[in-house]
Amino acid sequence: MTDVLAVANLRKRFGKVRALRSISFSVREGEVFGFIGPNGAGKSTTIRIILGMLRADKGRVTIFGKDAWKDAVEVHQHVAYVPGDVFLWPNLTGGEIIDILLKLNGERHTSTTDDLIREFNLDPTKKSRTYSKGNRQKVALIAAFSSDADLYIFDEPTSGLDPLMISIFEQHVSALKRAGKSVLLSSHILSEVERICDRIGIIRSGEIIEEGTLDEMRQFSRSVVRVKTAQPLAEIGTLPFVHQFESRNDNDAMFSVDSESIANLISVLQPLGITSFESTPPTLEDLFIRYYNEDTSSEGNVSSVPGLHAAAAVESEKHGIA
Amino acid sequence: MTMHNNSFANAGAILRINLRNDWLKIVLWILGMVGLMAIAAAKFGDLYGTQAAMQSIVVTLKTPSMVALLGPFFGTEPYESAMIYGSEMTVFMGLFAAMMNIHIAVGATRAQEDRGTVELMLSRATGRQSPLIAGIVELVIVNLAAGILESLGLTVAGMPGSDASGNWLFGMALAAFGMMFGTFALLMSQLASSARGATMLSYIILAVLFVARMSTDVQKPQWTQWTLYGWIELIKPYMGNDWMPVLWMSVVCLAALAITIPLASAKDLGAGLVTAKPGRTTASVFLRGPLSLLARLERVSALIWVLGMFLLGASYGSIFGTIGDLVSTDGVLGNFLAGTVKDSGNQAIVLSLSGTLTSIFAVVVSIPAILAILRLNADESKGYMEMFHVKRVSRRRVFLVFLAFGAVIGTVCLAAAVLGMGIVGNQAMKQPISLAIFMRGFVGFWPAVMVVCGLAALLSGIIPRFQKVIWIIPLYGFMSLYIGGLMNLPKWTQRLSPYGWVNSVPTDGVNSTTFAWMTALSLFLAVAATELYRRRDLQLR
Repeated sequence: MTDVLAVANLRKRFGKVRALRSISFSVREGEVFGFIGPNGAGKSTTIRIILGMLRADKGRVTIFGKDAWKDAVEVHQHVAYVPGDVFLWPNLTGGEIIDILLKLNGERHTSTTDDLIREFNLDPTKKSRTYSKGNRQKVALIAAFSSDADLYIFDEPTSGLDPLMISIFEQHVSALKRAGKSVLLSSHILSEVERICDRIGIIRSGEIIEEGTLDEMRQFSRSVVRVKTAQPLAEIGTLPFVHQFESRNDNDAMFSVDSESIANLISVLQPLGITSFESTPPTLEDLFIRYYNEDTSSEGNVSSVPGLHAAAAVESEKHGIA
Repeated sequence: MTMHNNSFANAGAILRINLRNDWLKIVLWILGMVGLMAIAAAKFGDLYGTQAAMQSIVVTLKTPSMVALLGPFFGTEPYESAMIYGSEMTVFMGLFAAMMNIHIAVGATRAQEDRGTVELMLSRATGRQSPLIAGIVELVIVNLAAGILESLGLTVAGMPGSDASGNWLFGMALAAFGMMFGTFALLMSQLASSARGATMLSYIILAVLFVARMSTDVQKPQWTQWTLYGWIELIKPYMGNDWMPVLWMSVVCLAALAITIPLASAKDLGAGLVTAKPGRTTASVFLRGPLSLLARLERVSALIWVLGMFLLGASYGSIFGTIGDLVSTDGVLGNFLAGTVKDSGNQAIVLSLSGTLTSIFAVVVSIPAILAILRLNADESKGYMEMFHVKRVSRRRVFLVFLAFGAVIGTVCLAAAVLGMGIVGNQAMKQPISLAIFMRGFVGFWPAVMVVCGLAALLSGIIPRFQKVIWIIPLYGFMSLYIGGLMNLPKWTQRLSPYGWVNSVPTDGVNSTTFAWMTALSLFLAVAATELYRRRDLQLR
């Protein structure tokens, strides 16, 4: 598969703040790429460089083989974009803005546009001054979905939408994927990313720290295991690949285990007489929090036990442009 | 439950926040006004020191054109410098006081609603009326501070013929006059559906009252007291010191507030009382690209500007007929009329005056031109342009569209003003002057407006954060042309702004060298600005 979007070694400073240290990833043709990271990690800055709004200090962005900065106009013909915070000219109606956005790319208001307006339940006759955050987002989504692009870029597109609208959004992203379009979806709603993305890139303080499919990431992570055995299993807690060992009683324990060592674990447990064994693969949320915590806590203290999520601090805004 | 249903709760806290946000703006406005008044007061003592000098300026001040510009002269012999000052400065300073109040009033109320700050504040234990009350108190504080400092400035300047009562009357009257326009702006903030609209309505009121004052002063002085604006000249500082107009202004302030406060509680947050009807479902066929989009966004204000400039030109033109009263035109009027004509007859005087007026028009039309050019960065930082910039439209094209729109609106407004002046002036004069000769003023001053557009573009291209610094040019240009001539300031003070480089059009023909280098300079600035804009980060939210 060819890369529709290739981002290589992006660096960007805003005054003294190093917004992006080194960002590299690629989106392949026909895939939905999830771009996740805490607030202020540099997601929006990266997207705005991809779209030629900001200029990278170093590095290169290629879209369909063209330079995203130099050939911005050509590239934009094939890109549709929905920003995280949508702001619209207050004096224009939603309908007028959808149309002008289409016309600027030489496209027109079609029956698809009407269907989308109906589906997203938008009143296009209202001046956008009167729209809520969710309604402004719908205007941007309708304009994006009714344009015939090859790469769709969504920057936290569902943050102001209700669950019903979120599911309509997800249906349309799946339809794009079926039509062979490529999608870059930045989000911090991890369940959403887990549901619809083929591959994922995790960004932390201006660096991509992981890129791959969810399955690939799980391999390098830990699963949560609950096991009951006929004989006492206290010694399991001393194994090098077992973490956060908590025993309920001598024969019942819950702990996390390095995913690649599951086979080892089972061979140690076998002689003890397994009466019950449950293994939960890490969710994206577990992975995310684990990656994130590596920044602050030392190795080994990292938790992948669900329930400890709440303890993870969320990084505060690091710089103005997020 | 003392806090129960208290619609003024937390007004004090909001006031403190507003003052902390606005302090620099307030300090600059007050310093500018106080400084201008005090320096002019100190200078007037030297300028009009002798009875002969005062005799000649009084003759000038009593001519219709000067009455139209500055208001009537109420002094009686023997003349004193303070009398000249009192009649030259009231109408002029009133304009500044009104502008300051419109900006602070809209900024403290309607603009905050647009930004959503009011919503945040009301979600706390804040009374519904508190933001408005905080705005009113802020205006009172700013006007009182300005008035007291102005009075003290006049006291320190100690012009011959000034007295304590006159000094304090002048300061307090400006405070009350400014407050009056501040309360009008608060009222407009309830009616309009955006801060922009509120500012526009407030300026329309100011312009209408100013023009009304001008025509009553020239034609029916006994009606001036009904124009509201006329009250500022009717205080007659150092020429009888009448405190009654100050009382009337205060009554109007209270009346405006009595209407505003119930309106504010009747209206929904973020909306205007003039509710909008449903708009278009789809864009019209004319709305298709960046230029038509900008034209659509600016159409109402562009129309108002063109019409307003035509009317402003026409209102000045209407006094050209009575200008034959000018017989002895020596001294300060000679300076004011660019010093070219002395005794060469009525037409020459009209032409010379039209040149001065055209220079003022050139400054005024720079306002809509600059507003359009600065709009690009302003809209970008409001987030309106984010999706727009990801379309098949190059940055160069976007930038040039905004710049060209500004240049065109400036050009059309300047032409409208000169045409209004020429057409109506010719109606009023017994011996008309060819329109083509009036238009020499337009052609002469046009490149200066273009240079101002180029400078605005350059600033917005390099340092968008500080693009508003460009306002110094028209503001300084206005002051140097309007009072620089009256105060005999050297020529180089006018040449600090592009307007000061234009020769004496339409009395003389257009200087083609000046025209050429200014046009070339503006083109160069436009190209440089576009290239700089293309290469930098956009202004993003």
